[in-house]
Amino acid sequence: MAGKTKKVKAPVTSWERNQNIWGWLFILPTMLGLIILNIYPMFSTLYQSFFKTGDFGKGNMFVGLENYTTLIQDSEVWRSLWNTFKYAIIEVPFSIAIALVLAVFLNRKMAGRSTYRAIFFLPMVAAPAAVAMVWKWLYNSKFGLLNHVFGGNTEWISNPKIAWISIAVIGVWSILGYNIVLFISGLQEIPKDYYEAADIDGASGPAAFFKITLPLLSPTIFFVLITRVIGSLQVFDLVYMVMDENNPAMKSTQSIVYLFYQYSFKYGNKGYGSAIVLLLLLVIMIITIFQMIAQKKWVYYN
Amino acid sequence: MSLKTKRNTQKILVHVILIIFSIIMLVPFIWMMLTAFKSVGEATSVNPFVIFPSEWKTDAFTAVWKNMNFFLLYKNTLLLIFWRVVCACLTATMAGYAFGRLQFKGKNFMFSLVLFQMMIPGQLFIIPQYIMVSGMKMTNSIFALVFPGLVTAFGTFLLKQAYMSLPKDLEEAARLDGCNIFQTFLRIMAPLTKSSMIALGIFTAVFAYKDLMWPLVVNTSAAKMPLSAALATMQGQYSSNYPQLMAASLIACVPMIVLYLIFQKQFIEGIATSGGKL
Amino acid sequence: MKKKAIALFLSTMMVGSLAACGGSGNSSTGTSTDTSKAASTSSSAASTSGTASSGSSKPLEVVIWDTNQQAGLQQIADLFTEETGIKVDIQVKDWDSYWTLLEAGATGGDMPDVFWMHSNNSQMYMKNDILLKLDDYIEKSDTINLDNYMPEVTELYQRDGSTYAIPKDYDTIALWYNKTMFDAAGLSYPDDTWTWDDMYDAAVKLTKADGSQYGFAMNPSNDQDTYYNMVYSMGGYIVSDDHKSSGYDDPNTLKAMDYVGKLLTDACPSATTMSETGTDVMMQSGTVAMIMQGSWMTAGFLANDYMKENCDVAILPYDATTGKRASICNGLGWAAYSGTDRPDDCWKLLEWFGSEAMQKKQAELGVTMSAYNNTSDAWVNCTDVFNLKPYLDIAKESTSDVKNELILRPYTYNSTVWSMGASTALVNAWSDPTQMEKVCTDFAAEMNKAIAAENK
Repeated sequence: MAGKTKKVKAPVTSWERNQNIWGWLFILPTMLGLIILNIYPMFSTLYQSFFKTGDFGKGNMFVGLENYTTLIQDSEVWRSLWNTFKYAIIEVPFSIAIALVLAVFLNRKMAGRSTYRAIFFLPMVAAPAAVAMVWKWLYNSKFGLLNHVFGGNTEWISNPKIAWISIAVIGVWSILGYNIVLFISGLQEIPKDYYEAADIDGASGPAAFFKITLPLLSPTIFFVLITRVIGSLQVFDLVYMVMDENNPAMKSTQSIVYLFYQYSFKYGNKGYGSAIVLLLLLVIMIITIFQMIAQKKWVYYN
Repeated sequence: MSLKTKRNTQKILVHVILIIFSIIMLVPFIWMMLTAFKSVGEATSVNPFVIFPSEWKTDAFTAVWKNMNFFLLYKNTLLLIFWRVVCACLTATMAGYAFGRLQFKGKNFMFSLVLFQMMIPGQLFIIPQYIMVSGMKMTNSIFALVFPGLVTAFGTFLLKQAYMSLPKDLEEAARLDGCNIFQTFLRIMAPLTKSSMIALGIFTAVFAYKDLMWPLVVNTSAAKMPLSAALATMQGQYSSNYPQLMAASLIACVPMIVLYLIFQKQFIEGIATSGGKL
Repeated sequence: MKKKAIALFLSTMMVGSLAACGGSGNSSTGTSTDTSKAASTSSSAASTSGTASSGSSKPLEVVIWDTNQQAGLQQIADLFTEETGIKVDIQVKDWDSYWTLLEAGATGGDMPDVFWMHSNNSQMYMKNDILLKLDDYIEKSDTINLDNYMPEVTELYQRDGSTYAIPKDYDTIALWYNKTMFDAAGLSYPDDTWTWDDMYDAAVKLTKADGSQYGFAMNPSNDQDTYYNMVYSMGGYIVSDDHKSSGYDDPNTLKAMDYVGKLLTDACPSATTMSETGTDVMMQSGTVAMIMQGSWMTAGFLANDYMKENCDVAILPYDATTGKRASICNGLGWAAYSGTDRPDDCWKLLEWFGSEAMQKKQAELGVTMSAYNNTSDAWVNCTDVFNLKPYLDIAKESTSDVKNELILRPYTYNSTVWSMGASTALVNAWSDPTQMEKVCTDFAAEMNKAIAAENK
């Protein structure tokens, strides 16, 4: 990091001293915004989790740790957490691996490059309501294109054994463009002369990919990994829009954020909803901290 | 000779893979399009199963175009996107630079707050932020739409990563030139992260466009509604007019695709010149 | 616009690279807040047209959740604007967003001026004084006399002797059937002599072994439109009369649910198929021969060519043992926000929507049946494609010597919790109807717990 350049023999100028002031000035708008918009609501949620909430935020009743003791015994919570993990385990690795390969291909000079890019980006610009609708329709066991084309009577989204995979497939499909855009922007920042040098050394194709691309792209991969792990653990829209309450597979697909939404917004039980979301936050924090530590082993900063 | 054929087969292989994935990406859209041109009966018919409409009807498109004021919706959506992109890029590039390149007291703690924000599911903010906006008497305005996106933890993190991957000796050179920190940031560093900035711009635009619950809740007036919210309201409780829903979805996608195509050009050309100079 | 966007943030960069290093570095930290202010000023320019007699030119904000009703209600609201000069802006939200919006608004203290109320949530909104109390207005009004509305609906929006909403409409349930399928099977159409057993027999006969056609369809969430009606017709109940306990373990309720199980096993598509597709879509695509549906679906079915060609409506069957026919009924109310800054204008609008003339108009336009007494014939006559009379007939004392009963949709203080809980629990019974009795008895306990936990 920049601060480690102290060994440079140049006299300690105002530069170092000014870092404190400029640093704070630069982060001020962002931090102010985050604290007001996000951190403060988070703490009011923490506060709420100790209450049995009244209607419309009035008449809250302090219940201590009751919401948490209920939470620990609530098998629905743990099952939802497990469902969330199942979803993440498919979405994250597949979307990253496929996107990485496609991004490397698309970073070459080749015919139709921008057409491909536009196509892969399409799912990102489709309205979520439309995406859910069309996939639901494709998967439909009776009216769906999928069963019609491939035959069979697979209940893609209502068979508890496979519904979570079907949902995760939509997840990969919708997020691929996101990962590709990030990887391309990361690839663009890798100086071309590295590849030229490698080419002279006889390393090209897969060898160059592993020797140059992967290490130099590792900050981007790390970023994608962190954001996608967090994002996939927060999966909500897909479950909410594709599955409905009657679906026999609902129990084996409903995510933890979905459960939080049910309690907070539908059942009017914000206290318990808050406890649920704090559990998720704790899980995400542990995983993220672990990743932050592990990055030192594999992420390569220039 | 053999090297050339090897390269050629490689090229073909790459294209085959890309084409397969393109088809997977496109199928839902093609289905959307086919459905939009069908009649309601055809869209929900199993016996026989209808893939191609027997008659390409544009009724759904005209009905939707008449029912929804798309120009107003486009305008609101573009305003929403514009202000969110401007706010996100400005605040995130500064914060990203500070977190990525500067040493200052409390930096690690502050950055952990940034990460912390990303871990919180967005649904949690709806009601508190709504109370803030309504406290300012600003519901039903473009400002209300932009409000949750004034700053971005995601963008800050993204740009921090971008700044960290730049070569170390950049600041050194700037310092020897007599630039102060702000000038170094503005003149040397920021331009080098252009590709990440554009990526952030694209994401901010996409997320703003996809944001659904917030606009639905904060703007009840039709005059200040963005596309996504209008589409969702179309999906009435029991509505099953699939052709119209699909037609509306397609019309709603168009400006985003155009926007992306324009950005994409910048995105690619912008970086080719800035990479690998130092 | 997009050009500007690119230009703006590229030029920010450009300026940076061109600026001489010795120049003064103007801090740009203020920019973000400036832009947000600019955003707000550019957007807060309100429409200007000050003809309103009430002094405010802003339209009254009205929010509803049913797209099918928007056009008709807007017509009625336009007449109101002509009359009073007060503009009205009607917005539709989907059901979930609608309640999130009201909840956020009630919590934050800033709601739409006028909106619909539903019996699921009305108790909570009334108790917390979110809704404008209408007693004084009603007393002074020449137009509104609560005796003129269906008493069941009026009652839904009264608490502790005060009225909080003007009855808007009411809905009942009827049986939709596919004439073509009945003809093909050589069966006579459903009529007022049908018992539930007749319906079952017909449904079984209409079910084809190859899975291309089924006699009946229902989902666990089709409570108000399907199984509630069977339960009450067979003498069971969902919520006790004092709104304090569950009836899911009542012997008669279990009898009805057993009947549901029989239908599911012998005459319905698989639970998974029904949940994926929805019973209305299956009806509209000619996959099922009969469904039970509420009067609120009529406008939607009228827009479907297949339905218009093949389907019609019959009164619900009755139970042979009890000799009773029952339809769940529910009604919405027009309510106003207690914190609105224009309570008088809001009242004028409620009064308008509730007036005899406009209630009649609502029915004539085919929007929905109106809550105002004796206006519903107009609704029946809004179309000659379907015979809508069965929806009205069930409100009569009796039909062909069978006693008819209208049952108010069962509710408690916060009905959403247990009504959603029921459809989740029943999913298991739908997948395996032999479990019906156990699922229902187990759920009764869960529901009693939920009711006990209500805030009240």
